[in-house]
Amino acid sequence: MSVTVRIDPIRCRGHAICALLFSEGVELDDWGFGRVVDASPEDRDGLRRAHRAAAACPNGAIVVTGAEAVTLRSRRTGVRRR
Amino acid sequence: MTGLPLLDTPDFALLARYTVGGLGGHGTRLLSGPAQSEGAESLDSHESRWGRLDPWSARHGIRDTIRASGLEGRGGGGFLLARKLDTAILAPGRPVVVVNASESEPASRKDRTLVTYRPHMVLDGAAAVAAAIDADRVIIHFHRGSAVAGTSLAHAIAQRHLAGRADPPWQLSAGPDNYVSGEASAIAALLEGGDARPHFAALPMAHVGPSGRPTVVNNAETMAQVTLLPLGCRSGGGVTGAGPGGVAQGSHMFTVIGAVSSPGQVLELVGSTTMGEFATHVGVAAPPAAVLVGGYAGTWIDGRQAWSASLDRDGLRPLGATLGCGLIGVLPHGRCGLAETAALVGYLAGETAGQCGPCVHGLPRLARACTALAEGRMRRRGSRQLVALAEAVDGSGACSHPDGVVRLIRSALDTFAADVDAHVSGRVCRGASQPPVFPIPRMEPGTREWR
Repeated sequence: MSVTVRIDPIRCRGHAICALLFSEGVELDDWGFGRVVDASPEDRDGLRRAHRAAAACPNGAIVVTGAEAVTLRSRRTGVRRR
Repeated sequence: MTGLPLLDTPDFALLARYTVGGLGGHGTRLLSGPAQSEGAESLDSHESRWGRLDPWSARHGIRDTIRASGLEGRGGGGFLLARKLDTAILAPGRPVVVVNASESEPASRKDRTLVTYRPHMVLDGAAAVAAAIDADRVIIHFHRGSAVAGTSLAHAIAQRHLAGRADPPWQLSAGPDNYVSGEASAIAALLEGGDARPHFAALPMAHVGPSGRPTVVNNAETMAQVTLLPLGCRSGGGVTGAGPGGVAQGSHMFTVIGAVSSPGQVLELVGSTTMGEFATHVGVAAPPAAVLVGGYAGTWIDGRQAWSASLDRDGLRPLGATLGCGLIGVLPHGRCGLAETAALVGYLAGETAGQCGPCVHGLPRLARACTALAEGRMRRRGSRQLVALAEAVDGSGACSHPDGVVRLIRSALDTFAADVDAHVSGRVCRGASQPPVFPIPRMEPGTREWR
């Protein structure tokens, strides 16, 4: 199962942090709300940026699903511990 | 063309390649049986025609039958029922079946007609689906405003209890009648004690709904169509034309509005025919200006193009339309499609749940732009901005409400291209000052409820 990045448009309040942290995968619409343009980043760096964006969203509007997401999330905590 | 029967006869298949009919008459349509004046069909009458259903005796076969039938949901999305059932079976937890009889499309009447006059067709199908996926209950959701439908369902359920039918536990639920409250995720949210607003979910509801359990939501017609399938768990019954186990041909339900002989009429079509032949049955003699297909957030089709198109999924696809909820709106000549569209977009923009950016910011702007176009207050540059705005709104909401509005606008700009040219040049057609042909519900400000 591949990783899928989605934005919950109901939770999104247009903080636009995702567009900074995961710039290749999110663009902002006419009103400043995030819109996913690359829902399945292939490379590890892209995935990591997607997770960082998900963690940074003040409204928890970014949802990353897929089997690999779990392993990467634990790796990210490893980075944080270091 | 007129030699074809309006109501089906026992051997209709020999007489015509299709049948169109309303309530009553012989045959194996959903609506055949007692006439409308007799009200809701009783369990006795239903079982004398269709036989008695015992879904638990063949519950594994039911899923195979549904899969083989290729039955698609009749609420608008057209999702394969078998796939929903497969998802629910594989997901953790005991599934819940929800029958959506709320029919939030303002002009559509087919689901209400079914639950009001043929409640046991809907309940039989829902019981079969519940047995197939081992659901522990069936919730039937309807609009608080349609009290007749609720009463009919309550009576029908009582009849089944008294007769001791092997049914799943039934539960009735009444909700608000907002446009978006009929959306599956909005109903599921309401059932869990929340507002009847659509919500965003990373996984399909058939996998995990708001209750934490697989939630299979289907509209009333879809459930009634299941009853027509050869479920192999029926005994008795003497429907003429129905084979062993109650085999009947699937059908499609339509509601017709606009320039037809009887707006709001519900018709059932068995077999396939062209839009033109279908239209002659509802009093449309020649190709109209345009036809709105699928609902208020549906697709406009040019009248002449629509006339020869076959009225099914495959016939409508090349025209960019789907059957949706089965609404057919006939726009007569001399009326302005752009004015009609502006009225519809204005209504739809007021019916949002106010949750996502595209609905909160995009739809009011789209509505204003459509009104300006209809009234001739827009020039070429403005119409290009309208297209760009529609592009920005498309596909970015939690539910498909904004997408539907965009579909309506795009098909209007396409179908009424000549009118657009005239309007942006300041030549507004005479029809633009007429009141809309299709009924637009009006709501008192401040009276909207979400529970």
